[in-house]
Amino acid sequence: MNKDRPVLIDADALLGRHPRRDVGGGSAAELLAAMDRVGITAALVGNVTSWLHDPARGNRDLLGLVERHPRLSPCWVLLPDTCGEVGPAAAFADGAAAAGVRAVRAYPRDHGYDLAGRDMAPLLAAVESVRLPLLLDAGQVGWPTTEAIAKAHPRLHIVVGGVGYRMLRQIAGVLDRTANVHIGLADLSSHRGLEWLVERFGERRLVFGTGAPYRDQAEAVTRLLWSELSDAQVAAIGAGNLRRLTEQEAKAA
Amino acid sequence: MNSLATAVWERRPQQAIRIVDAHAHAGPYSLFFIPEPDPGGMLRVMDRCGVAHAVFSSHLSIQADAAAGNALTAAIVAQAPDRFTGYLTVNPWQDPAAELVRWGDDPRFGGIKLHPDLHDYPLVGSRYAGVWEHAEERGWPVLTHTFSGSPYNDLFHVETVAARHPGATILAGHSGVTPLGIEAAIEVAKRHDNVILEVCGSYNTGTDIVRMVREVGADRVVYGSDFPFIDLRMSLGRILFSGLTDVERAAVLGGTITRLLGGNGM
Repeated sequence: MNKDRPVLIDADALLGRHPRRDVGGGSAAELLAAMDRVGITAALVGNVTSWLHDPARGNRDLLGLVERHPRLSPCWVLLPDTCGEVGPAAAFADGAAAAGVRAVRAYPRDHGYDLAGRDMAPLLAAVESVRLPLLLDAGQVGWPTTEAIAKAHPRLHIVVGGVGYRMLRQIAGVLDRTANVHIGLADLSSHRGLEWLVERFGERRLVFGTGAPYRDQAEAVTRLLWSELSDAQVAAIGAGNLRRLTEQEAKAA
Repeated sequence: MNSLATAVWERRPQQAIRIVDAHAHAGPYSLFFIPEPDPGGMLRVMDRCGVAHAVFSSHLSIQADAAAGNALTAAIVAQAPDRFTGYLTVNPWQDPAAELVRWGDDPRFGGIKLHPDLHDYPLVGSRYAGVWEHAEERGWPVLTHTFSGSPYNDLFHVETVAARHPGATILAGHSGVTPLGIEAAIEVAKRHDNVILEVCGSYNTGTDIVRMVREVGADRVVYGSDFPFIDLRMSLGRILFSGLTDVERAAVLGGTITRLLGGNGM
């Protein structure tokens, strides 16, 4: 990696094949090659298996998939403990932290539960206590729910990616009323939206991510590096903010 | 790595080639907030990246009022004719013949824009007859919105009008948008030489754009961004970092649309 280039840590990437698009084999080696093509230093990765098949198995398998790749850090998927699938809240959170998991992700729409409901409250409190950020995709959860859990768990850092180009009216309200909601760069595609959000809320509320492999990583890389932001702001969004939210250095960055 | 990607990494505008955006708009849009959607904000982004020219239709023309919107498009081009060329929007419900008569010889326009989804009217409908006549007679390319699964502008609609009007050049805007739509767009373009694949949209990738070029040639694929509807850099980045050769990349980013416009408006 060229030392002169901005450091970019992708907080929104997946390993695994995709059932509705040809994204290749989904291996760690393929993701790393794609990262090199666009100049991404490291990535926080989830497992398609956790999302689209079996969260418990996907989470376990993910640790093995990234084990020999120091540029990749694992992100586990949450489920409520109502059916005993991923274990009690405290055990899940402590186990994640002990395993080196750097963040957790929730798919409430696809996994069929209410993120702001009573079933999830203990788990959100548990991941808040071990300071694991919660990653969400805007298509999985509405803004009122995001705002509700942000206010109920004020030390839980939430990053919402995949916001597209139609949501600034909602985003601005939620960012204005909360301090712990952040916006990911995967498909943050409003015209001059990145600059507008930074000007209004500060660069600390933005976190680099790509949505790979479903999304082309070149989108977010070009969007950030060719932005009208300063080099210091780009450095914060590209890597600094995620490091701060996870309170530890990503393994290779 | 190619010089354009290097310019991204070095955070400076590219200067290697003349980039022309073949699918742009201008102004606010009621469904969502756009920061600085007017020509000033557009030019700032173009200059930041090194985009020389954009071919656009005003949002007003495709949303509420084609006549007022086409007048706005013409006024914007008049302010910066070296940076902008207009698409003449034809709304099938708003006296399409009058718009073609009013602007059909105006050098500020170089092509026609159709948005069947927004106007609830099929691309194959007879109210567009004057559009195809004008396109075949005058050589103006027609940029139509496409979206896989749409009742108004799916790729089979494009195929129908391409077969009916072989002398018209049809830009399939977004190339169907979705992975399935992109597949269909490539197949239609392979069967009809007068169909051009335009690549902006929320789901395209550099890999898909390379496949388009391999299947139909760089002279049949054009860069568009849809800005300021969507930020210009999303679609541009996919092409800059793709596996296209330098020659192919230059064609997709500007050479092909410049040739298709044939000097109209540029």
